[in-house]
Amino acid sequence: MWKKARISSQVIFFFVFLWLFVNTKSKGADELGYPVKAFIDADPLLFLLTSLASRSIEVIPYLAIVVFIVTALFGRVFCGWVCPLGTLNNLVGGLKRKSALAPTHNWFWVKYALLVFLFLSALFSLNLSGLVDPLSFLIRSFSVFLYPTFTNLTVLLSIKCASFGELYFLQGSFIGVLFLLVLGLNLVERRFWCRYLCPLGAFLGVLSRFSVLKKTVSERCNNCGLCERMCQGNPNKAECFLCGDCDDGCPQKAIHLGFKGKELPWGIDIGKRRLFGAIFGGIIAVPLFRISPTRKVAFASEKLIRPPGALEEKEFLRRCVRCGECMKVCITNGLQPTLLEAGWEGIWTPFLVPRIGYCEFRCTLCGQVCPTGAIKRLTGKEKESLKIGLAVIEKNRCLPHAYSIPCIVCEEVCPTPKKAITLETVTVKTKDGKEMEIKKPQVDPELCVGCGICEAKCPVVGSPAIYVTSAGETREREKKFLLDR
Amino acid sequence: MILSRREFISGLATVAAAFTCDKFFPLKGALGKELPPDLVLVQGPSPQRITRTAIDELGGMKRFISRGDVVVVKPNIGWDRTPEYAANTNPQVVSTLVQMCYEVGAKKVKVFDRTVANPQRCYLQSGIAEAVKAVGGEVSFVHEKKFRDVKLPGNALKSWPLYVEALEADKVINVPIAKNHGLTRLSLGMKNWMGIMGGWRGMIHQRINESLVDISLIMKPTLIVLDCIRILTDNGPQGGNLSDVKIMNTVVAGVDQVAVDAYGATLFGLKGSDIGYVKLGHELGVGVMDLTKLKIKYLKA
Repeated sequence: MWKKARISSQVIFFFVFLWLFVNTKSKGADELGYPVKAFIDADPLLFLLTSLASRSIEVIPYLAIVVFIVTALFGRVFCGWVCPLGTLNNLVGGLKRKSALAPTHNWFWVKYALLVFLFLSALFSLNLSGLVDPLSFLIRSFSVFLYPTFTNLTVLLSIKCASFGELYFLQGSFIGVLFLLVLGLNLVERRFWCRYLCPLGAFLGVLSRFSVLKKTVSERCNNCGLCERMCQGNPNKAECFLCGDCDDGCPQKAIHLGFKGKELPWGIDIGKRRLFGAIFGGIIAVPLFRISPTRKVAFASEKLIRPPGALEEKEFLRRCVRCGECMKVCITNGLQPTLLEAGWEGIWTPFLVPRIGYCEFRCTLCGQVCPTGAIKRLTGKEKESLKIGLAVIEKNRCLPHAYSIPCIVCEEVCPTPKKAITLETVTVKTKDGKEMEIKKPQVDPELCVGCGICEAKCPVVGSPAIYVTSAGETREREKKFLLDR
Repeated sequence: MILSRREFISGLATVAAAFTCDKFFPLKGALGKELPPDLVLVQGPSPQRITRTAIDELGGMKRFISRGDVVVVKPNIGWDRTPEYAANTNPQVVSTLVQMCYEVGAKKVKVFDRTVANPQRCYLQSGIAEAVKAVGGEVSFVHEKKFRDVKLPGNALKSWPLYVEALEADKVINVPIAKNHGLTRLSLGMKNWMGIMGGWRGMIHQRINESLVDISLIMKPTLIVLDCIRILTDNGPQGGNLSDVKIMNTVVAGVDQVAVDAYGATLFGLKGSDIGYVKLGHELGVGVMDLTKLKIKYLKA
């Protein structure tokens, strides 16, 4: 009874998730047209921590409010019936041998400690929620690991459905290993992640304090203990996923889960020492994550080119939840997750690597899918005059500059209406003494928007003869280095 | 083009008939009517109409396309720009050609280009995908695995990967747009072959004229229709600035790649010999750039 309804719900939500994920993709139009970030929008933890860290509310989170209310009334329905990562954990957990189902650990406190840690660091403006939030974790893993693995496999097997070739991601394997690890933990114990680690689960557990969930156990119960072994969470309000396995599976039909009967205990017991440890850790994490000098504008990596519309770096880091939607939607595959380019605080945030893919001049999709406003939604007009960096010519490698060999690729592909790369015709002497005209590219720093198509298409192999640095990007006032004309 | 037996016999019969009737009707051409002009220029407000008129003046699409042909119509779809910016071929010119091919019995008409900017955006924003699909043409994105190394004459390129679908088609119709280009001054018909080139094609700019002529020597288009509805006079080949666009409402059609390009150059106030690849194409026998030696017909439609 419970099981059929729950599994149908899980299947439906999982396919909705997959459909939205797959459609986080350009078909060439200016607008994406799908609410692809719906699952992140429904996440009350991401909303709360991001609002707390950035001290601002971007939009009213209707979906998250629905999840909030449902959880307060009925408990962790989201975990058992909706969450796509929970569904995957369920699936993998099904592979575990039945004889070894009984829970062996009492690590429920870990996720509450993690929640307190995240809450405290967000209070002091450090937003790490995206690293461990299950929906961010899942979309990121899908975007930079599972989906590229799938498309590259279709290319390998010459299946035509993925005609846009292979996708590449820095960190793809690292993030992929973590994803497989989380799934693999289900073989240690079913729903290991959901039970012990998930901070969203912990938050929803806290919310279910006054839920109306009740359980009756009739006299027919013969203490066989099967329900305890079948239980996916733990029989109390904060840990019950409402999977209904105890109700369905009791051989004596003695258990009834519903609105009548005995109230379940709340069941959160983190312990004073751990609580203080988490609080202290959350606070100390703030300076610790920021000890890297990359926060100083003068020292920031010139390779850290943020997506167009990204907020000023400090504000950007407070908002970005590392969900990877922007990397999924990026039509050139240019948006990549960082490792330490933006310091520890900025791990897995998006940056543009033009040699992998440039920023398409008229595309504004990353801003359209960003769920937290870390990347602003831009109009076509705003995008055209927004600088994300500045191109620099490496004259020792550039064919016309270094070898007097004709090449105008960077000028040809430069997309600004008045070209930011111009050609200066100069007369040079060839080695046999003849005079020859050659066109040498120059960059106009006023016009260059830093899109990086010149770097992407530069025919010089290896390190390109023209590349983009983050100098002069519009979003960072301190990076301005040219006087207005 | 390989003649089928039927075409051969009917052609032979026509010629024979023409000769026999010579006494009674003076011979104007092998087919009993006036020879079509080398170049046709049609000006007018409707892209469809001027394209149709141009082809009809050249002898109609049936002169170029036979029943059952697989045809490639190759426009320039290189950039993420809408039609008014004159960076890609006019969508109506392309779709009219596709439609005309079907009208004379083409089996399949394929349209594609290896774009420079993101292909999905180029195909959609140029309006070409939609216009071509509406008349039943097959629009496809270029697939990286469908290139084949082809031996070339070697003025600059000894071999290069070219797109198999263009090589294997029965007929190829080249539909470039006339526009400004930083290195070659103008991008015209022969320059449009870059869209069937695979590999790291940016390299060919090192010897652009020789490279383009190498490809033009082996790619023999059945027909070239140069779109000059709007021409891009500066900041090409990508444009983006409406003040660089000049409205000409013209198409130039012909069967000689060099001649069409040479005429295209005059629209920008240049001569064919000012364009390196046109000049070299003339010298190496791809075609004729001397417009005084050509029979050119001007029309308004």
